[in-house]
Amino acid sequence: MQLFESMRPDLLRFAQWLARDRAIAEDIVQESLLRAWRSRDALKDPAAARPWLLTIVRREHARLYERKRLELVSLDDVVEIQAAPGPEPGGNLFELRQAIMRLPLEYREPLLLQVHGGFSTEEIARELSLSNTAVLTRLFRARNKLRVICGMTAVPDVVGGEAQL
Amino acid sequence: MSCEETRLLIGADPGASDPVLEEHLKSCPGCRALRDEMRALDANIRRAIAQPPELARPSRQPARWRQWALAASALLAAFAVLAVWLLRPSDTLAHEVVMHVQGEPASWLAAQHLSAQSIDSVLRRSGVRLDISSDDIMYAQSCFFRGHYVPHLVVQTERGPATVLILRHEQVSGRSTFHEAGMSGVIVPDGAGSIAVLSRGGGSIEDLATHMSQDVHWLPEPPR
Repeated sequence: MQLFESMRPDLLRFAQWLARDRAIAEDIVQESLLRAWRSRDALKDPAAARPWLLTIVRREHARLYERKRLELVSLDDVVEIQAAPGPEPGGNLFELRQAIMRLPLEYREPLLLQVHGGFSTEEIARELSLSNTAVLTRLFRARNKLRVICGMTAVPDVVGGEAQL
Repeated sequence: MSCEETRLLIGADPGASDPVLEEHLKSCPGCRALRDEMRALDANIRRAIAQPPELARPSRQPARWRQWALAASALLAAFAVLAVWLLRPSDTLAHEVVMHVQGEPASWLAAQHLSAQSIDSVLRRSGVRLDISSDDIMYAQSCFFRGHYVPHLVVQTERGPATVLILRHEQVSGRSTFHEAGMSGVIVPDGAGSIAVLSRGGGSIEDLATHMSQDVHWLPEPPR
């Protein structure tokens, strides 16, 4: 349990970026750690604990999202709340953090799994039950949206397996 | 591999590297430039999510909350004016320089000599020419910093590696030193902008900053 607990801050950060709500993120992490403890025998290699726990957190968030999607905080509220402390308002990092928060979940989720979790495209595809091409397209479009926020020109969209934005 | 396939792969995973991709990049400067940009963007994304988002418990009474928010924002504006007055721009710049360098920890460990061509490409993108030997430069990236692409170099000195950011668009009123997050640094005015030099553990940054001032030549600003 000590191993799992030591990862709580990392899991909480991941859950906060996913859920965009501190209280919900705390509930998700608490429930995930309980689930992990109950299924601890499934973790054969302690070195794989981090991706395993991140996966549990993501699934817990997905369960909650499906159950309570209509009650979740609106984007407008998030943006106003976000204008609190953090990187300097007007700075690139501040704008980028806001832009990541504003990404729809379908783009934010694979991006966080890749950048925060270190998951490969294939692992993300398995986790999200998507094709590799769909994951590549979502990751491409997520970054393309962030490019525009950062003042760069958008890369011409590729023809993927999903509808255009 | 076509440019479209390459763009998809680079946009989806800027860190990816495989022989087919590399082969295409060798002969396609457009896709190569896109990968540099995407890698710089990814470094910023990593920095952006390195801290949890600032979140409060959402209000269930938005109308009332907005009234309080209006009053709070007036108070915050007053604090902001005070903060701007207390926090000199050069301090903010030094802090952002440190944050940027912290976001690329692997840059300190670079041990591979770079080709003069790749260094030149990074410098030219920001309208800079450098007189120092490419043998001394262990890392060269074009990084998106405060709205502009700036050369981020790691230079090997007798007392260890030192990081150099050439900041064409950042004016400072004079030389200033700083110590933050285990790094020592100096920002010196140069041309219409400035140069920041940082080391971990007190390397010879003052000397290096002086040399860089002599060795940096500002070219006409490249088109954006």
